[in-house]
Amino acid sequence: MTSVPVPVAGPGAAAEPADELLALHRAGRLAAAYPGLPSLLARLPEAESVRAAQLLSRVDPDQVLREHPGLPSLTVAVTGHGTLSALVPALALEGARHGVVLRTVVSDFDSYVFDLTDPGSALHAAAPDLVLCLLDPMIVTDELPTPWRPEDVEAVLAEKTALLDALTARFAGSGRGTLVLNTMPLPRGLASQLIDHRSRARLGAVWREANARLLRLAETHPELVVLDLDPHAAEGVAVTDPRLSVYAKAHLSPGILARYAREVGHLARVVAGRTKKCLAVDLDQTVWGGVLGDDGADGIEVADSPRGEAFRAFQKVLKQLASQGVLLAAVSKNDLAPVREVVADHPGMTLREADFVRFAVNWRPKHENLRELAEDLNLAVESLVFVDDSPYECGLVRHELPGVSVVPLDEEPARHVEKLLRDGWFDVRELTVEDRERPALYRVEAERKDFLHSFDSLQDYLRELGVRVRIGPVEDREVPRVSQLTLRTNQFNLTTRRRQAAEVKDLAAGRDTRVLAVHAGDRFGENGLVGAVVTRREGATVHIDDFLLSCRVFARGIEQTALAVVLRQARADGAREVLATYRPSAKNAKVRDFYPRNGFVPVADADSALVFRHDLASVLPVPDHVRLTDSCEGNTP
Amino acid sequence: MSSIDSFIALVRDDLGLPIDDTDVDRPLDEVVGWDSVHLITLLTLLERGTGRSLSLPAALEATTLRGLHDVAVSG
Repeated sequence: MTSVPVPVAGPGAAAEPADELLALHRAGRLAAAYPGLPSLLARLPEAESVRAAQLLSRVDPDQVLREHPGLPSLTVAVTGHGTLSALVPALALEGARHGVVLRTVVSDFDSYVFDLTDPGSALHAAAPDLVLCLLDPMIVTDELPTPWRPEDVEAVLAEKTALLDALTARFAGSGRGTLVLNTMPLPRGLASQLIDHRSRARLGAVWREANARLLRLAETHPELVVLDLDPHAAEGVAVTDPRLSVYAKAHLSPGILARYAREVGHLARVVAGRTKKCLAVDLDQTVWGGVLGDDGADGIEVADSPRGEAFRAFQKVLKQLASQGVLLAAVSKNDLAPVREVVADHPGMTLREADFVRFAVNWRPKHENLRELAEDLNLAVESLVFVDDSPYECGLVRHELPGVSVVPLDEEPARHVEKLLRDGWFDVRELTVEDRERPALYRVEAERKDFLHSFDSLQDYLRELGVRVRIGPVEDREVPRVSQLTLRTNQFNLTTRRRQAAEVKDLAAGRDTRVLAVHAGDRFGENGLVGAVVTRREGATVHIDDFLLSCRVFARGIEQTALAVVLRQARADGAREVLATYRPSAKNAKVRDFYPRNGFVPVADADSALVFRHDLASVLPVPDHVRLTDSCEGNTP
Repeated sequence: MSSIDSFIALVRDDLGLPIDDTDVDRPLDEVVGWDSVHLITLLTLLERGTGRSLSLPAALEATTLRGLHDVAVSG
């Protein structure tokens, strides 16, 4: 073991990640080093994760936040049937892996029914962002008679799923945040107690039907997420550990809890607004076998050979992700022309030009290309996931751009898919129409930029761009997209309040609150639903609680247009003033002056927020170059 | 896991609990930071290290870290 005080570092640090972690723990520096932990933990071998989880569970979340106030943090409540505290270290590890500080509150043994139903419970008092209600098979088996028959299991399952349905509805009524349930894999130890195949099949059917009912609950409860543990069990993770179950009442094995925590980690990132948006892939030995520059287009492996099939399978998965709104970019050391020819003409390629939003193909260092790619797409580098088979490139990117998540591949292409999908980098709550169209929108954006370069002034450009804006009360079908914007938007987001769909719906329906959806388009096509404004009426004052705009479209006058509409509407509704807040975050410095630049004057200046006031005497006009095609003016709720 | 010293090192470095020699004979509920869940993790790590199965019921009856160490040594 090393005793060197190690900084959290990249390829220069020869120390093993587990040793680095221990050194930080011994030096009491884990909280101080927290922002660097994702890059350290990305290199941690799976076998070391139990120890790492223990050490990380000793870190005080409050201390981390004192040292790094800008880090996202969530309160996670854990409740369920058996002993649950084994989940805490696993959650600490996953939080640290994703750079999200998790404050975990564990309920008493077997108290989930009380926790979820009583608005006065300690669980509700903690005001959790995530509520994990951990379900295990013993919830059912504990209530079976001895001896039992499949009908008994069916009856208990019917009662439990109905109970969970009711608890979820009750939770939605009294709590806030996201409730997380999970499927319960069928224990073999239960199925094999039945000796006839007919009964065993019946048990399997009623058990799966109950799990399917659980999964379907998410269709009717927007605040609910149901994690499916069956795929993890199918990968060979033991669901139960008989000794721990009998002696310690810990009914789920440490292995399955680690997988569960991993899923929660992905969800935490979504809730904290830290979703990854762009997948930057190397080409040679990553997307195809061989080296294009050496082997030529005819020599690379993309199909119809054993290794070719492995790369084809990987390409299919990349295409699948791109079809769901993940921005796929090629970052490769190659000449551009031959790469373009391969994606255009190679008969074996699955990925085509239209699947990529950018080709950063040149001979410059990859971290420089990644930095430019992020700028070009108007994203933070923290939104990138980088995939490469070269340990050198992976190490370099980790070192130069620690915020980028790096997925190292190796020379075995058959494992590329599982390595890429091991973490749910791009998980979202719900896919919207805009998601599916996003890659195409970003490709059009490249054309817009070329168009911009043909003008002498920005004003000329904007006039020719023909920006159209439509603003109106959010419609039901738009609620998921508005919620998603609050979760994904970091730069043009005045208050960075993350709102789940249920909350958006409540605000839209509120007597004094209103949610406006901003749609935009221009000569190149529709941008879709690109922004949202949440306002609240209080006597003669209108408060702008949220104001946010997709990073794809700002600086085109859309934000001034939206603000003008809000102000005009406030005046039309008889308000005397509009108060607006700017809450600084790590990412939104560029909109600090948005309100004062548009006719507001500062009225309060605290550490946590700036408040501005507009007296509505003279409301700014909609910019000349913007055509407001429709709005909600005069449409008082 | 023969010596009590390496046992203490395991608790310090693998469980992350700040214990020292004076804690080994202290009742477990007086050991700072101790939680019954640590018992399970500790046994998992010990079993992984020794390749032997240890008695969980015996470990659950242990009242001090030394008692746990004895279970680990005797199996």
